[in-house]
Amino acid sequence: MKSEKLNSRKAPLYDVHRKLGARMIEFSGWLMPVQYESIIKEHEAVRSNAGVFDISHMGEFLLKGKDVIPFLQYIMINDLKLLEVSKGQYSCMCYENGTVVDDLFYYEEREDLFRIIVNAGNIEKDFKWLNNHIKDYDVNVQDLSSERSRLAFQGPKTDDLLQPLVDVDLSKINRFYFRHCNLNNMPIFIARTGYTGERGFEISFDKNYSEEIWHNLVNTGASPAGLGARDSLRLEAGYSLYGHEISDKITPIEAGLNWLVKPKEGIEYLGKKVLMKQKSEGTERILVGLNLLGKGIIRENYKIFKNGNEIGYVTSGGFSPTLKKTIGLGLVKKQYKEVGTELEIEIRGKFLKGIIVSMPFYRNV
Amino acid sequence: MSYEFPSDLKYTTSHEWVNLHDSIATVGITDYAQHQLGDIVFVELPTIGMVLEKESNAGEIESVKAVGELLMPLSGEIVEINEQLAESPELVNSSPFGDGWMIKIKISHAIEIDELISVERYKELVKSEEE
Repeated sequence: MKSEKLNSRKAPLYDVHRKLGARMIEFSGWLMPVQYESIIKEHEAVRSNAGVFDISHMGEFLLKGKDVIPFLQYIMINDLKLLEVSKGQYSCMCYENGTVVDDLFYYEEREDLFRIIVNAGNIEKDFKWLNNHIKDYDVNVQDLSSERSRLAFQGPKTDDLLQPLVDVDLSKINRFYFRHCNLNNMPIFIARTGYTGERGFEISFDKNYSEEIWHNLVNTGASPAGLGARDSLRLEAGYSLYGHEISDKITPIEAGLNWLVKPKEGIEYLGKKVLMKQKSEGTERILVGLNLLGKGIIRENYKIFKNGNEIGYVTSGGFSPTLKKTIGLGLVKKQYKEVGTELEIEIRGKFLKGIIVSMPFYRNV
Repeated sequence: MSYEFPSDLKYTTSHEWVNLHDSIATVGITDYAQHQLGDIVFVELPTIGMVLEKESNAGEIESVKAVGELLMPLSGEIVEINEQLAESPELVNSSPFGDGWMIKIKISHAIEIDELISVERYKELVKSEEE
């Protein structure tokens, strides 16, 4: 049994997780619940009913100033012309060589005020990245990560379960839009976004409300769900995970996120030159979906072969409770990317027959 | 955390249990072991007829997050494997000492039985691993 690292930080809901019998792991410097009862049961609860995830380890910044929009147009590869007040947008920040600093979501509160949610492992890096690029823009970055908590409420029943608790009409919030409202008289930021492939919401609030809001959500009948289920859900939905499908060695085009790279005529942005070239010419390697033809489990870093030649590697893999078999994502040389291509995956010295399949494996949004 | 420790079984330090009847040993992994692994999604077992030595690899147990090895607790010939696990690997989680059994061995060296550990010693082993 692994002992907990004593220098890891405890999320505000740490005691709640322990009381529920959660198995805790160290994740990006935080002690987080990987499962409460069973990864598969939690996964299935989200697909059939609702699940509550503690995502307080993620980062939250506020960007203020009259130049926020031009600044973000320079830093982000997506186009803020598609945004409006009370709407959010998914994007990557890229290096000049097109590889990824982080993937994230930002929300337009006002023309001069944006909220940004970033990955737990990149909070410090992203904060520095933003500040290092402000230069002459009239923009200020405030890090609220440790002042606020975040929860994800995901599943087909979440609208019905949450409506009685909030003072806003949830049916009026379209996908990617957000509101400020109250949950049992506690002010929250609520966005119709998610990482599971199901309908649902992500909420953020002052950390002092953490326990009460957690209990309010679980008492609706939703299941506590840990990082293990969060990973198997996003894998089924085909969503990238930083450090796996995108990273400082992988570009969004290689990860199949062509739609994210916008032309933004007349606007210079970090990585534009390389990314627009990759968008029009393609890349040497590309992300594909994987199945095995027999039994076994695909896992990250397994090598992929075709006729004895190494052609790529697995970026993420695991068991899909919904499809009841193994699924994976991998980067392969472009000439092998067609759906239906048969290949071999090396699993602990054995070469098992696999095949490229279309993505996503599952989605219900 | 409380685990099941049936007192009518013998154990190994690698978390297998053994049920001896004449010269046939039924083998599986313990409740503690299945709990450590988490949801089991695939079990690979040897073929009937294989002759394997004590402590050699007799199968792989894959969970959502990990891979565990089944080690032979005693030397001998594999005479039966639990075919149910191909369709229902989760039986190892729900019934590690019952329907989740894995292999049956016709043992070749009875003297190895003395090297298996008692339920009391196994309980101590688990307790020390948890600390």
